[in-house]
Amino acid sequence: MTDARGTALQIGDPGEALRRDGIVYADYQSAKPVDPRVVAAMLPYLTEKFGNAASLHGVGDVATAALEEARGRVAAFFGADPREIVFTGGATEASNLALAGYALRNRRKGDHVIISEAEHISVLNIAKYLEKQGFRVTRAPIDLHGRVSPKKLRARITDETILVSLQWASSEIGTVQPIAEIAEMLDGTGIALHSDAVAAEGLIPIDTGAVPISLLSLSSNDVYGPRGLGALYVRKGVQVAPVLLGGGQERGLRSGSEDLASIAGFAAAADIMAAEMPAEVERIRAIRDALVERVLAEIPDAHLNGHPEQRLPNNAHFRFHGVEGEAMVLSLRDAGIAASTGSACSSKTLEPSHTLISCGLLHEEAHGSLEFTFGRWSRMEDVDTIMAALPGVISRLRALSPLYKTHAPATP
Amino acid sequence: MKSTQYTEKTLEHFRDPRNVGTLEGPNVAVGRVGNPVCGDMMDIYIEVEDDRIKDIKFQTFGCGSAVATSSMITELVMGMQLDDALKVSRGDVADALDGLPPIKMHCSNLAADALHEAIKNWREGVGPEDAKKTPGGTACHPIPAQVAEVEIQKLDEYDGKGLYRKLDDLTDIADQRVVVLDTGDDAARLAMDLTEHTGRVVLMTTGKEPSVSPAVRSALRLSDVKVLAEAQPLELLGEGELERIRVHDLNEDEEYELTADAFVVLE
Repeated sequence: MTDARGTALQIGDPGEALRRDGIVYADYQSAKPVDPRVVAAMLPYLTEKFGNAASLHGVGDVATAALEEARGRVAAFFGADPREIVFTGGATEASNLALAGYALRNRRKGDHVIISEAEHISVLNIAKYLEKQGFRVTRAPIDLHGRVSPKKLRARITDETILVSLQWASSEIGTVQPIAEIAEMLDGTGIALHSDAVAAEGLIPIDTGAVPISLLSLSSNDVYGPRGLGALYVRKGVQVAPVLLGGGQERGLRSGSEDLASIAGFAAAADIMAAEMPAEVERIRAIRDALVERVLAEIPDAHLNGHPEQRLPNNAHFRFHGVEGEAMVLSLRDAGIAASTGSACSSKTLEPSHTLISCGLLHEEAHGSLEFTFGRWSRMEDVDTIMAALPGVISRLRALSPLYKTHAPATP
Repeated sequence: MKSTQYTEKTLEHFRDPRNVGTLEGPNVAVGRVGNPVCGDMMDIYIEVEDDRIKDIKFQTFGCGSAVATSSMITELVMGMQLDDALKVSRGDVADALDGLPPIKMHCSNLAADALHEAIKNWREGVGPEDAKKTPGGTACHPIPAQVAEVEIQKLDEYDGKGLYRKLDDLTDIADQRVVVLDTGDDAARLAMDLTEHTGRVVLMTTGKEPSVSPAVRSALRLSDVKVLAEAQPLELLGEGELERIRVHDLNEDEEYELTADAFVVLE
């Protein structure tokens, strides 16, 4: 393929780019590169096969065929029927559609919705919107490790409960929820279960054929597809009202002409993930395990947040006594390392992570959190680079801190 | 603007802070502001000679701007007359750093407050140790509250449902978040024993430190018990079982809810 001047178009490689720039990227939870193979699959739909799937002419028919073929491949990755996949403009939109669309459509059955205390902000905020619309929203607590107890969830169900929303896994601390158990518990009760599966995609199997779930929020970027595209899985027979109104695309549930190139990209990304996931996950898990082991062994007063076993294989989430998270992230940035934190000082609201507080951490502990997430272009050498910098960063910031020596013992 | 969109000058002071440390001696005063709960806390030490700042040092726990503003103010006022140093404002510090992100102007720009507190303590003859016990005006506006005997509401409702008056079998609380109320050495020792059975043990005290003997205090410091000071439990909350404790933060005079599965109040 060539550009307007006739020179060959190059699709860059994320791993090469990071190495060239000297960056160790350990923040895959925030954003993932699009796999170059996915970009190649998308290009024809930007240029040659540009049609609108709604058009009646032949150009439109090509688009319709491509759209439905892509829908089938995305559906297959999640064990779904193609008619159960509604493409949306990202996972936030999918979760908004799931909660608002389901609750408003099924209001006559009841006005009570249950979410967990650890949900992503897109679920928390659409739940607040539902409260303003007159629904009652109950938040189910999580345990020390961030898991919802099925027993405590059940204790909150009333005759008016119509919907439960529980993430598949935490994007923040990586804790995997007992979603299959809760789905079985709710199956046949008439209460719908929605799950935000974005953090779990591509890391643990998500099979709607095996788990009786009603609604599932999905994201293309989380399987290394393009950003700005998501999907809502809507089980056959589950009634949802649209939140975007227009031309009635996506079976009337999501109006707006479909972004065919991105959808083709999502399908290609899902295919690649299906083929490579078992080996990729084991490779990423080994990198993550190496980091956790070294941090806990080499840095005093370091703790792992989240569940020791029931956690996403790419997630390492720590807290360090006496150090503030934003200061850690800034210092690591200077060392060419990209990580993130749940500290208030890095957030727009100046509130520390609600998930960490719900786990029972004190504010000062939540301020000292640091998250690493690995992905397709991570390498075992990244752990060496991180560990060459992190102990020095922590000890420098502790030396600056009036808290460390007073609240904790010096290094034994 | 992102909260971390700092100027080069701010980043430079964060990377290479000036005048880090503490001072000692008869001519030294300290100003402490902030609180680890807010995410920012700083101590500014001044050594005074002839009503001038002869030397100045700081220690700061906090984000990039908290460190950079502390460093900057030490440069700004080194050698200055105390009356002139009192005129240095938060805005002056931010200007000297070529500006701070708007969201940080209030929360992480405490250095001027800490300096003013140090000068006030010097003039009032407040020694460094006393100064650290009563921090000055801060980001979260602490108003030390009156410590009074408060009856914990709904205590009896959770008897056997998360409230323990004694603990014979420590394995009962495996993997639970346990909060032990500070009632002296026995409570502190129990808290330390509990760390063998669960990863989360908080010793909650209304005081600035647990009311324990010196030997227990040093053992506590070496243990995995998390001490939560200046916290008054007000009410137990939860659906059927204990899930949260409503707490009055006596330093901030604010209320918040602490997640907990077990609350131990020894008889």
